[in-house]
Amino acid sequence: MIRITELSKSFDDEKVLDNISLQIKKGSIYGLLGSNGAGKTTLLKTIAGIIKQNHGEVLVNEERIFENTEMKNRLIFIPDNPYFFSHYTVLQMANFYQDIYSTWNQDRFVKLQSMIKFDVNKKIHRFSKGMQRQVAFWLALCAMPDILILDEPFDGLDPVIRQKVKNLVIQDVAEREMTVIISSHNLREVEDLCDYIGILHNGIFVLEKELDDLKSDIHKVQIAFKDGAPTSLFDQLDILHKEKRGSVLLCIVRGKEEQVIQVIKQHKPILYDLLPLTLEEIFIYEMGGVGYAVENILV
Amino acid sequence: MFDLDLRSRKPIYEQLVDKLKALIINEVLQQDEKLPSVRTLAQQITVNPNTIQKAYRELETQGFIYSIKGKGSFVSPTAISENKEELTKMKESLKQLIAEALFLGIKADAIHALVDEATDVVNRRNEK
Repeated sequence: MIRITELSKSFDDEKVLDNISLQIKKGSIYGLLGSNGAGKTTLLKTIAGIIKQNHGEVLVNEERIFENTEMKNRLIFIPDNPYFFSHYTVLQMANFYQDIYSTWNQDRFVKLQSMIKFDVNKKIHRFSKGMQRQVAFWLALCAMPDILILDEPFDGLDPVIRQKVKNLVIQDVAEREMTVIISSHNLREVEDLCDYIGILHNGIFVLEKELDDLKSDIHKVQIAFKDGAPTSLFDQLDILHKEKRGSVLLCIVRGKEEQVIQVIKQHKPILYDLLPLTLEEIFIYEMGGVGYAVENILV
Repeated sequence: MFDLDLRSRKPIYEQLVDKLKALIINEVLQQDEKLPSVRTLAQQITVNPNTIQKAYRELETQGFIYSIKGKGSFVSPTAISENKEELTKMKESLKQLIAEALFLGIKADAIHALVDEATDVVNRRNEK
């Protein structure tokens, strides 16, 4: 269980995180999304206890994480650029992890080696970017952490490896109730993996919800009326976005499916259609709602 | 056991519920048969175990499966949905489909024949 209360963080005068509260349950896979520069990495680093907050509290299993080596023994953070000591080989790095993490699993290291098929005596800095990332995952999973924090984890991995890595992570979630926090821009990647989603913008949560609820609470509605849309319809619905395409009206509506349908039916449309949104669409419309819209710029 | 469409707009747990329901109704999963555990299924189809748990819970409230503590989930003997909400939804979509079929020129008799065919399938299942 990770509990964050009223967390704020500034770098010099720049406020990066502003009064954030958040709870992540054990065994959950939490997806952290957000615009560029929203404060995702800062939040992750604060949870990992790498940087210290100015205000508020970060509790992991009811204990403060900052400078708490015992808690950090149970947590691994893979940054967007995995870090290895220069000129270390995979084996040397593995030995280092073994010394640091009390729960290191040597059997698993050997087992994963037969899957990944890397030469453990090769220096890590001679590997490609994607291969280095695989090494980072390999070492992290062998340390059997309770909490795994991933910053843009699937960057530079090919589809086969991506699927393998996801599968390994899911196994640990299913078997040991490992908690995972993932930040990503690739919404499709997050969509099938996470059960909880938080969208961050300018240091504030725009939205924080269970993914399935999120998807069933927002709909794309296509309606057509015989003679123009009645204005009373729009007053009764929570509309995020409205667009006219010929005689068909396209709306993005927030609310429960049955309620939305009921309201629409009252106005007797010629036809209506209700579709759930993809995470990508939810992201774009919610961000549009806070003034971070996709504008088509002509150059 | 089955594939999910990760590109679909439908939430994954809903897809899971639908797929499992289809398997139960078509008797691929038999009465009192044990469903794969959440862990195994999560690993097999690379889906978040919490999502699978949620799908199983949903199936249980709809009466398609029952669970025994410490043993797992099993297919209900009479998977007749008592969920009123589900029934009205089903009726509504049937009405829409039938209206479409009539519009396309399928005769009412042909639809009746289809109903009879479906009834036979269900009856045969109940006899077993």
